Amino acid sequence: MAKVEPVGKNKMLKEWPTWVLKKAKTATHYGFIPLIIFIGMNTDPKPQLSQLLSPV
Amino acid sequence: MMGARGERESLHQEKGRERVCSGSVTMGAAISYCSPQEVLNTAICGDDGNGPDYMHLPCPAKYNEITREAYMSLKPELFEGLRFDITRPLNNKFALSNSLFMGSVGLPGNRQSKAHFELGADLVDQKGKMDIVLVMGRVLSDARMSARVKYDVNERFSIKADAQLTNDPHFTVGMFNFDYKGNDYQAQLTMGNNAYYGVNYMQSVTRTLSLGGEGIWLGRERKSNMGLAARFKTDTVCHNNGMQIATGLMKSEGLISCTYVQKLSDKISVASDFVYNWENGEAITSVAYDYLIRQCRLRGRIDTNLCTAAYLEEKFSSGLTFLLSAELDHRRKDYKFGFGMTIGD
Repeated sequence: MAKVEPVGKNKMLKEWPTWVLKKAKTATHYGFIPLIIFIGMNTDPKPQLSQLLSPV
Repeated sequence: MMGARGERESLHQEKGRERVCSGSVTMGAAISYCSPQEVLNTAICGDDGNGPDYMHLPCPAKYNEITREAYMSLKPELFEGLRFDITRPLNNKFALSNSLFMGSVGLPGNRQSKAHFELGADLVDQKGKMDIVLVMGRVLSDARMSARVKYDVNERFSIKADAQLTNDPHFTVGMFNFDYKGNDYQAQLTMGNNAYYGVNYMQSVTRTLSLGGEGIWLGRERKSNMGLAARFKTDTVCHNNGMQIATGLMKSEGLISCTYVQKLSDKISVASDFVYNWENGEAITSVAYDYLIRQCRLRGRIDTNLCTAAYLEEKFSSGLTFLLSAELDHRRKDYKFGFGMTIGD
C-alpha cells in the first residue's frame, strides 16, 4: 500500500514540531555560550571587558 | 533503664558512690551502669528501646547518587596523555574555563590520537546558601557542545535540563529532570529525546536504611527497564567506627552491583564494589583506597581483571593542582599514563 504524503496545511501541522526543534537546536548550538557570557558580564560586580579577553 | 513509674533514670557511679540523676525516688527500680557517653548516644540516637522514630526519618540520597561516595574512590577521572585546565572566575557568579587535552584512545595496537580544546562558561546565581540557578556551557574544538541548566524553584523542587549537541543529528541528546525532595523521600521524573521517560524514587525506611526503585521506558526501541536499590548508611555519632555506606542495585538489564565504602579516619577511606552481569555471566570485584596526605589526594584501585589504577592530585598554595594518572591492564598489556595541571578550581 503506497504511503500517502500529507498535503499543504496538513503537512505543516504535522511537521512544525520538528522544524521548531531543529531551529532551537541550531540556536542553542551557536547562541548558548554567548548568552551565558552576556548575562555573566551584566552580573554584580560587573567585570571589565579586558578581564574577559585576557588569558590571565 | 526504666524505673517502676516509667520515668527515665540514669545512675552514675562516681568513685564508689551511687547518685540518682532524676529528682524523684522510685521504689523497686533496677540498678544498672550507664556511662556518660552511652547517655549522650541515647539522647542523640534515640536508641532507648522504643525503636526508630518513623515520623522523623532523614532524607535519603537520590537514586542516581546512592553510590557517589563509593565511586569517588573507585572511579577517579583517569586520563591518558596531557591535560591542562584553567578556570578564571571573573566575579563570584561568573567564570570562564579553558581546557586542553592531548592523548590517545583505543585498544593496544589500534591507538588513535585524540586532541581537543574546550571553552566553557559557568554562571551561578545564589540566594543565601542555596544555588538558585546554575548554567554551564562547554564547546569543544570539534563543534560538540554541552549545555546544562539547573533551576531550584524552592527548597523541595528543582528542574534540570541537559543537552549534548553535535553536528550529527543522531548523536544529539536532550534531557529534562524534575526532582522533588520530601521529608524522608526523593523522587525524580526524567524526560528525554527519542521518547525516553524515566521515574525513580528513594524512601527512608529507618534512620540508616533507604530503599528505592526506578522505571525507564525507551520509546524508540519499545523497551522498558526496571531497577531496585537499597542503601545502608551508619551514623557516625552512634558508632565509634567511621562512616560506612553499603549499597545494592539490581537492574532488569541483567546487572547486579554492590558497593561498600568505609571511612577509616578523616584522612583515609576504603571502598570496594562487586558487579555481576547475569546475561553474559561476567563478574568484577574491585577494591580501592582514598588517602589524603596534607595537600595531596591519592586514590588507588585494583580489580579482578588484573587492572590497577592510581590517581594523584597535589594542590599547591598558588591555586595550581598537579595531576598524575596511571591505569595498567596487565591482562591485555594496555598501559595508560597521564599528566596534567589545573589552575583555579
